[in-house]
Amino acid sequence: MLEVQNLRKEYGDLVAVDDISFELESGEFATLLGPSGCGKSTTLHSIAGLVEPTGGNMLLDGVDVTNKPPYERNVGLVFQSKALFPHMTVAENVSYGLRMNGFDEETIERRVSEYLELVEMETHATHQPDELSGGQQQRVSLARALAYEPEILLLDEPLTGLDRVLRERMRNEIIKIHDAVDVTTLYVTHDQQEALAMSDRVIVLSDGRVQQIAEPEKLYHRPENPFVAEFIGKSTQFSGSIESTDPTLLQNGARTVHVESPEATQGTEHTAYVRPESIEVTTEPDETAPNSFSGTVVHSEYLGNRTEMEVELSDGTVVDAVADAVPDVTNGDRVTVQFEPSEVIVL
Amino acid sequence: MFRSVPVVDTFRDRLPATIHVLFGIGFIALFLLLPIALLVINSLNFGGELLENYRIALSDVYLRAIFNSLFIAAVTTPILLLLAFFVSYFIIFQTERTRLMLGLVLLPMWIAYIIRYLGIQLFLYPNGPVVSVFDTNFGLLFSTAGVVLGLVSGFLPFAVLPIYNSLSGVDRDLIDASSVMGATRLSTIRHVMVPLSIPGFVTAGLLVFILSAGAFLAPDILGGPSDLMIANMIERSYSEIFDINLAAALAVIYTGILLTLLVAFNSYLNIGEVLSDV
Repeated sequence: MLEVQNLRKEYGDLVAVDDISFELESGEFATLLGPSGCGKSTTLHSIAGLVEPTGGNMLLDGVDVTNKPPYERNVGLVFQSKALFPHMTVAENVSYGLRMNGFDEETIERRVSEYLELVEMETHATHQPDELSGGQQQRVSLARALAYEPEILLLDEPLTGLDRVLRERMRNEIIKIHDAVDVTTLYVTHDQQEALAMSDRVIVLSDGRVQQIAEPEKLYHRPENPFVAEFIGKSTQFSGSIESTDPTLLQNGARTVHVESPEATQGTEHTAYVRPESIEVTTEPDETAPNSFSGTVVHSEYLGNRTEMEVELSDGTVVDAVADAVPDVTNGDRVTVQFEPSEVIVL
Repeated sequence: MFRSVPVVDTFRDRLPATIHVLFGIGFIALFLLLPIALLVINSLNFGGELLENYRIALSDVYLRAIFNSLFIAAVTTPILLLLAFFVSYFIIFQTERTRLMLGLVLLPMWIAYIIRYLGIQLFLYPNGPVVSVFDTNFGLLFSTAGVVLGLVSGFLPFAVLPIYNSLSGVDRDLIDASSVMGATRLSTIRHVMVPLSIPGFVTAGLLVFILSAGAFLAPDILGGPSDLMIANMIERSYSEIFDINLAAALAVIYTGILLTLLVAFNSYLNIGEVLSDV
């Protein structure tokens, strides 16, 4: 559907996008995720034709669109700023792409009401954009980008600037709309929760390069490199060299961590990442557990459905852990943290 | 309730607000309203027939000059608006050297109009560069077209600045959105940039229309004998035939016409609303 091949964009000495390649399947919802300045917006704008790449190719449905102007590409783009035309009504905004693409009046009228209905804004057709709330504006913006039925829908951090509750609701709305119209979608965000919750696949970018392309679960549990492991979710890290391979032991200072890693060879340097939910915080340790370290609870935060804790080990390492509901330990308690070797990510 | 923190403003403490207002009103009264009142009084003939000067002022030769002025302003204004839009478009979208380009637009304003018009005259003269290249000056010298050319060149900065200001305020995302939705560059100009720059066009249009309608150096230097505008007539009746009363009557009539046009324009398009809607 969409193929991006070796995309590169330089601004003077700055390399914003450095050899990015990926493919999207028809109907897929994919996300470009990365910190600010990672090149995700530049990539998206290159696909839309608003940024002229320094190198590489982009194919849309098999057709090379690399050198085509935006108006010949048939893509839909939702802006972070919403970018609704302030001198037009909601209906005129939605009809704009249809008019510019030469649809007949009857189709225009039908599509405008169809897509306004889809985003539940049909009762606002004659309003001016500045009479709408931020969330409503973004719905109209979505209808406008979809109405002329582009081959691909691009969304550039569309939920930034909305409050948290609205953001989560819009998240579901966008997924629902995507499923309803079945349009190939590329979504840009710096918010990993958004990316994990919405996407079929996530493309993690950093420093203008692809770090990993994977399904959300795989990204979280099987990150391919330290950047992804650290960027997605929380984890406690133990770095050191592999002491032996059967069982695999990683020497982290004075501490020996049992891990499972078929690829690790003796003497090589690795980092072990342990997710908070893999860690058990207890006052009655299981003596047979391979990884069992004692420490002190230095911080705990009750969040209703769970409690997040930080446990400081004897050498100062802070372990992030999470417990269901109300844990039976509080700040200052001596506890033991335990985790299974199979739960450890070794990179 | 919170008490507002007192703002220390010694200047305001010393001078009450009424004095500020009175100063402003006083300045306008002294240098605008009073002279206009004197003009109206001077235009009347208290010795004999009260409106005699107006009767003379409404004779063919002066009506022709009035018509000429409005005609030239009406031709000059749209040319200037179009030109100013493309200059602004170029400065905003086609070049990185925005400051330099704006500076170049403003640079001619540092040169006196008389010198610029004489320059254009020399440029179009029979032994000037235009004639030596094209063998003709295209009838641009000492003609209505010459006057329009002079006014367009003279007043371009006044048209560029407001339009540049409006156009550069148009959100780039709107332009990008239009383009992604299938609008060619020309369609984007027509459907997005121009409608959103209306305040600039209104300001620029009013400014250059009034300036052109009151021009007198350009017709004097670049126009032919039949291109005299009302300002030339007023100036001549004042300084050549020493009829200050006729000059006053002409001025009052012309000011009245311009104000009527302004009111008519305003009822068609609420200027205040357009300009506040930036």
